[in-house]
Amino acid sequence: MSKEKKERNAQQIAPLESDWLSRWTTLEDFERSIVDNPASGLEAWARTTAGAVAVLLVLQLVTGLLLAFYYVPSAESAHTTVVYIEKVLPAGSWLRALHHYGSQWLTLALALHLAQLFWRASYRRRPVGWLASVALLALILGAGATGYSLPWDARAFFGTRVTEGVASGLPFVGHMARKWLLGSNEISAVTLVRFFALHVLIIPPLILFVVMARFFVLRRRAPLPTDSEERRLASFVTRQLTRNAITAGVVFLALSLYAWLHYAPLGPAADTAAPGYLPRPGAQFLWLFQMLKYLPGRFGSVVAVGLPGLILLALGSLPFLKHRPLSRLLVHPRRDIGFALFALGFALFTTLTIVAYVKDATDPNVRAQLSRQRAEEAAFRAAPFTPLRTRASESGIDETLDSADAETKRRSDAANVSASPRPEASASPASNSSSPNANALPNVNASTMPPDAYVTQCSACHGTRGQGASPFPRLIGVNAKPRRAVEDIIALLNNPEAYGIQPPMKSYADKLTEDEKRAIAEWVVSLKKR
Amino acid sequence: MKHNTETTAAATPNQARRNFLLLIPLGIFAGMFGAIATAALRFLRPSSATQEAKWINVAPVGELTGNRPVMRSVIAEHNAGWASTLEEHFVYVLPQQSHQVLSSICPHEGCNVVWRDDMSQFACPCHDSFFGADGARLSGPSRRGLDPLPSREENGVLQVRYQFFVNNTEDRQVRE
Repeated sequence: MSKEKKERNAQQIAPLESDWLSRWTTLEDFERSIVDNPASGLEAWARTTAGAVAVLLVLQLVTGLLLAFYYVPSAESAHTTVVYIEKVLPAGSWLRALHHYGSQWLTLALALHLAQLFWRASYRRRPVGWLASVALLALILGAGATGYSLPWDARAFFGTRVTEGVASGLPFVGHMARKWLLGSNEISAVTLVRFFALHVLIIPPLILFVVMARFFVLRRRAPLPTDSEERRLASFVTRQLTRNAITAGVVFLALSLYAWLHYAPLGPAADTAAPGYLPRPGAQFLWLFQMLKYLPGRFGSVVAVGLPGLILLALGSLPFLKHRPLSRLLVHPRRDIGFALFALGFALFTTLTIVAYVKDATDPNVRAQLSRQRAEEAAFRAAPFTPLRTRASESGIDETLDSADAETKRRSDAANVSASPRPEASASPASNSSSPNANALPNVNASTMPPDAYVTQCSACHGTRGQGASPFPRLIGVNAKPRRAVEDIIALLNNPEAYGIQPPMKSYADKLTEDEKRAIAEWVVSLKKR
Repeated sequence: MKHNTETTAAATPNQARRNFLLLIPLGIFAGMFGAIATAALRFLRPSSATQEAKWINVAPVGELTGNRPVMRSVIAEHNAGWASTLEEHFVYVLPQQSHQVLSSICPHEGCNVVWRDDMSQFACPCHDSFFGADGARLSGPSRRGLDPLPSREENGVLQVRYQFFVNNTEDRQVRE
């Protein structure tokens, strides 16, 4: 082979690094461990799914990191900060769109990568790399599911509701799983922080751990290659790196362009969602969403959690499926089982995703509602950003100032009002601010304290003093709205739907006594904006 | 891998081709990095907190009498990022100096100064800077006297425009 001959003449140093690197780092060992047998042509290009996964993974980490510089995971601030990223910050909507659509592309790229590895019987030749890729797909799906809740708009809120519902339907552990996921017995401020912690502090380190482990620890011990092999490998490393870089560049360019042209979805805050809001999951979960429509309710959770879990588990166990009984049944048990799994997964995913899109496009009611929602989102996007009003904790500024209704009052306050006279001129500011905590809560006298039933049943969502927390409406001043007199509120507690109020507000007909309902209603009516 | 010095003569075409080929991935990586880095820099660039130049009422002038500085608090609105915050600040009014208003923030490192009636001086509790009853620097690490705030009298009410100043400089600059 003339090519071999040429290479034999080549200088015998590492092609990728200078002498310095090869002398002081183990970069070469690393390269050798990730590079498979040399290939060429279409097969070599097919292997660049690795490059696509790598670039999307890095992009998710980097954009997520950037978003974390502004995002605040609290029920009060989450939506405002996401809107700020979208509307105010330069490049903010692009970075968020990269993160949003990137998570969907990454799922697809990983699925393709797994198919590619399967095609090359990777589960047999490099079982650990195979396992790592399966684990990565599971983690990426988990990251997508938890990240969906974080913008805390109507879409996020209902996404969380479905996740919660699915968790609660699990056999035996459902009740507990739901509570642990929510951190409370209903979706609340605690839930958002839980999803944030999972999305940002638990899953990414696990992803990094899997990637690092796959690259640096869980490697096959490669036998020392002979000189000619070494050289062949070295030239392949360079060429394959270039191929991967080209694929990565193309994927990056395509995603950049897509994110440039499409905003990541963001609606008004969850508490302003109109009744009849139709939530839709991210594209990677659309198939599960569609499947839930066809399953009887009691199997829904089992299948929604179980099926993806089972497929992933079966894929993960492929390297170990070589038992005698199996090989008696099938000639190539692992290949056949794997093939069946991929075919099943692919068929389910594509058909259900397509059906989901087609259904949404053909049902006139759904179409009308979805287009209404799109128009709402567009109007919301066009509206200027309104900053979150807060107050320094040390000042005795009136609590109700953070309500949007009190805006005019607040404006004039800021412009005109000065503070109370402080008679002792010699008092230091420090001593004046020594009792800030007393001022942190508005002064409520005993008669305005909430009834006990309110504290136990309502305060988790509506706040200890009726101040609410997005998306849960504040009750202060609710009496000013139509149909919110004492009798109305009692009737509303019995049957919220009759008042056009959606879940999670549920009927308290059986949970409160008539006296308790009345006490709560009277107290809520007494909550006035000062 | 062995480093063979004998073959330096042969910086062979093959080797050169490989090195050249490496420029492609390097270029692609650089391009991607550049695109994200540019966006990241724009995204992370600090926004300066703006406050509208509003006149804030301090107190009716009739209440501000006596021989010693009178401390008052004012509430100013600050807009930074996604939040608009109402913050309470302390000021000293000098009835003897035609109601000049001084910021209570020490020009040294930003602690709040207090009026020491026993010494008839302002004292910074953090690093022992002392200032006279008119705010002039007396001793300690501060490099200038207390900062006066723009003030005016409107319908018998003293009003102030709240500002921050660059700390630890001799000349007084409004912080932007």
